[in-house]
Amino acid sequence: MSDIEQARKGETPFGMSFIRANCTAASVNVFRMIKSMDELAPGKYSDLHDRFRSIQGRISEILTQRKEIGAGPLTIVLSEIDKTRSDEAGNKMANLGEIRNHLGVNVPDGFVISSRAFRELINYGELQVEIDRLMQSSPTDEKDQLLSLFSLSAQIQQQIIRTAIPADLKSAILAAYGELERKEGQGVKVSIRSSALGEDSGLNSFAGQYRSELNVSADNLLQAYKEIAASKYSPQAIVYRLNRGIRDEDVDMCVGCMAMVDAVAGGVMYSRNPFDAGDGRIFIHSVFGLPKSVVDGSIAADLFVISRKPFQIAEEHIAEKLQKFVCYPEEGVCRVEIAGSEASKASITEDFAIELARIALRIEDHYGNPQDIEWAVDEKGEIVILQCRPLRQENLVPQRPGGPYQVPASEVVASGGLRASPGAGYGPVFVVRKESDALLFPKGAVLVVKQALPRWAALLGRASALVAEQGTEAGHLANVAREFGVPAILGLESATELLKNGQPVTVDADGLRVYRGRIESLPANKVTSKSLMDGSPVLDILKKVSENIIPLHLLDPEARDFNPSGCRTFHDITRFCHEKAVMEMFNFGKDHRFSEKASKQLVCGIPMQWWVLNLDDGFMEDVPGKFVNLDNIGSIPMLALWKGIVAVPWQGPPPVDSKGFMSILIEASSNPALDPSMPSPFADRNYFMISKNFCSLNSRFGFHFSSIEALVGDRANENYIRFVFKGGAADHERRSRRASFVGAILDEFQFHTETKDDGVSARLEGYDLEVMKEKLGILGYLLMHTRQLDMIMLNDASCEQLKSKLLADIFSVILSKSSGPVAPGSIPGSKSYHNKKEAK
Amino acid sequence: MEPISVLIVDDEVEFLETLAKRLRKRKLVVNVVTSGEAALEKLLAAPVDVVVLDVKMPGMSGLDTLREIKKRHALMEVIMLTGHANMEVAIEGMDIGAFDYLMKPVEIDQLLYKIQDARKKKALNEKSDLLGTPGRSS
Repeated sequence: MSDIEQARKGETPFGMSFIRANCTAASVNVFRMIKSMDELAPGKYSDLHDRFRSIQGRISEILTQRKEIGAGPLTIVLSEIDKTRSDEAGNKMANLGEIRNHLGVNVPDGFVISSRAFRELINYGELQVEIDRLMQSSPTDEKDQLLSLFSLSAQIQQQIIRTAIPADLKSAILAAYGELERKEGQGVKVSIRSSALGEDSGLNSFAGQYRSELNVSADNLLQAYKEIAASKYSPQAIVYRLNRGIRDEDVDMCVGCMAMVDAVAGGVMYSRNPFDAGDGRIFIHSVFGLPKSVVDGSIAADLFVISRKPFQIAEEHIAEKLQKFVCYPEEGVCRVEIAGSEASKASITEDFAIELARIALRIEDHYGNPQDIEWAVDEKGEIVILQCRPLRQENLVPQRPGGPYQVPASEVVASGGLRASPGAGYGPVFVVRKESDALLFPKGAVLVVKQALPRWAALLGRASALVAEQGTEAGHLANVAREFGVPAILGLESATELLKNGQPVTVDADGLRVYRGRIESLPANKVTSKSLMDGSPVLDILKKVSENIIPLHLLDPEARDFNPSGCRTFHDITRFCHEKAVMEMFNFGKDHRFSEKASKQLVCGIPMQWWVLNLDDGFMEDVPGKFVNLDNIGSIPMLALWKGIVAVPWQGPPPVDSKGFMSILIEASSNPALDPSMPSPFADRNYFMISKNFCSLNSRFGFHFSSIEALVGDRANENYIRFVFKGGAADHERRSRRASFVGAILDEFQFHTETKDDGVSARLEGYDLEVMKEKLGILGYLLMHTRQLDMIMLNDASCEQLKSKLLADIFSVILSKSSGPVAPGSIPGSKSYHNKKEAK
Repeated sequence: MEPISVLIVDDEVEFLETLAKRLRKRKLVVNVVTSGEAALEKLLAAPVDVVVLDVKMPGMSGLDTLREIKKRHALMEVIMLTGHANMEVAIEGMDIGAFDYLMKPVEIDQLLYKIQDARKKKALNEKSDLLGTPGRSS
């Protein structure tokens, strides 16, 4: 349950498989407890089963709920699509259909293979079940994470590509293509683009995670469809969804098929400046051939900037475009060189630029927000729109080298480029030249690449900064870097040569410089801890689910609703079982004849106010009769605790000021729960339940209740200590202060503590045996020496004094190896205990 | 003490072999089969201390296999180990009498501890069975 509590904070990314696994583990453990209760007292607590089923049912319902989409068609022609059908066609194609059908914008003919089609594909032959299994089983330990991410991605994609398309889907796709052929001509080539649900919705950028294929022939239509569908599981898409808390099952991959436009020129335009919200001019990036090279940033592009008022070209930058992408006649696209003076010519005329700007304004006006639009000019000289989506505008003012920080020039390893994501990051350089390098990318390293390719986004979740030789702030990778809060410099020439693998550097994106080593004056790595899970569907589900697991309503065992029907969460059930198990076991001797199973009074020389119940192998040998001698205790955690309990004799309560004493009197006379004469089976008794590696201690001293549970053995990863300290007799403020007081001391010894009202709970886990014993000693000591502190709790000076005394004791007695219990005789029998300890 | 003998049942051959190798390194006697049917056959011929059983397999399902094992060998302990995190299946398995329900990926030591604990429980149950006293089977 503590994993779920930790995850609730949303600080580290997790997916649905994490939630499912944890819910399953929690319910198995709770169920096992209930079964144990059945063994202990057959039939007595059978109501727990009903409660369990009902809580589990609620959790299941939350886990399995998904947006139900009706049984729409498998394919939809573009002429029937608008933004109202985004659940069937995906946002990308819904946006295109909208401007085509409601705005009369020129968009190529085509159709969409719908979300229902995707689900049919993925549910065919239980593919989804298999995918869930692969996701669940993928190793999560740090060193294997990347490797497993890439192999997981490959496995899932292969599964999808290998799967046979269901017959009805296959014929639907071929029929839709046949119809397109009738309009566009026999054997028309198509572009096939992902149009995932949620993609381009404006909330999340999904930038470049999925595949598109250009100029696909009829022969390969079905294969290409599966490949695009499979790209739902590209490494960068898996990482992105995980980091943004998006459920896999909410992302159906719709696929758009449109007649291929063999563009003479093309590009991307923004209806406003993407990096300056105050700049309303239209920005048009343009190249020869297909717009592809603008999208992936591989070729320098012309830039036209058009002002709105007056509506005219404000700026024009013509780049040297040495290459272009064109369609092969048969299938696919190829890159060709542009020779001589042609390369420096403008890719479009000014008239086209103005016409494009006009379209951009119409689309912006229609949607009512800034737009990011992919366009092309076809061989007939007509403008066609291939994609449009909301533009994420960010204020990213261009930086000048140097920036605001004073760093000696001698420390500069590289400088220049442009800031694609603000901030500074420190880490060792890791140059990724090929896919296989990516597998070894260490967490916290500075990612250095030649091209800013979308696929490197898979590494951004682990990178402290990004440096690329090419690319622009408009590219996909830059988008994701900003979303993930990873500082980035793009277009930094020769970065892959200037920066050496393993060399520690500080990347100052704001200053456009890379420095040797860590520059302390830079606020490096501060930007990172962006809580991406906030408000995400996955975090939301976790929160809903955990409402049925974590909260504790059954607090008071004496209360009337302390019964199975009062259990509203798994935590309640465990609390109930725990309490009742103790009761059943201590009653065992009375109700049953097996006296050896009854609790024994602890004897250290003389019988003491401590009782011990042996659960399993906690005694060295079988004990007849009512008493057990300390010599005979074989429980490692109990002995460690006991060592702390007897380490320093208790001096009695600290001197009280008269206000403190009054407070206790008043509280005791007004709070019935504190009345010591109330019948309670455990009043003023201290109970150990033990086995060799386990110990649970419930104790009540006067008005204080505390419980300690510990598992201590050779299996360090199973070791744990839990401690709860509650109550007190004074007024609420004093009790709260005491709880914080105890919490603060435990904090100093690596316990995770939580103070709430007048209670403090602490836990510690995973240390090895010797450390655990030491910590138990500290707890035992505190247990004895923080009794009846309520009276002095409003006096800061005495609090401080007491704290120093307690800490001094802990360091000098508990944590010092040479010392044993002091003042022999102060606890009868402590000597024999000590000898026993050494003999072990 | 005798080395613990386990039978691992999983249709994923690669996983099966890796796990077997790692458990053998930890001094366990390991047998492997790839289906529920084969597991039942194997257990008839040579009983083991603990069975590690996958939930989702072609042919006889994990739960059916578990049911059959418990019917034929009441004292044998079975640990479910699966890539499917499914609460309903998990609880059904526990109800039938599985010792625990673990999810892949599992740390090898954690699995080893579970196997040790399961064997310990089996030994206890066998003892109380022998003495005719009501056993602790939790």
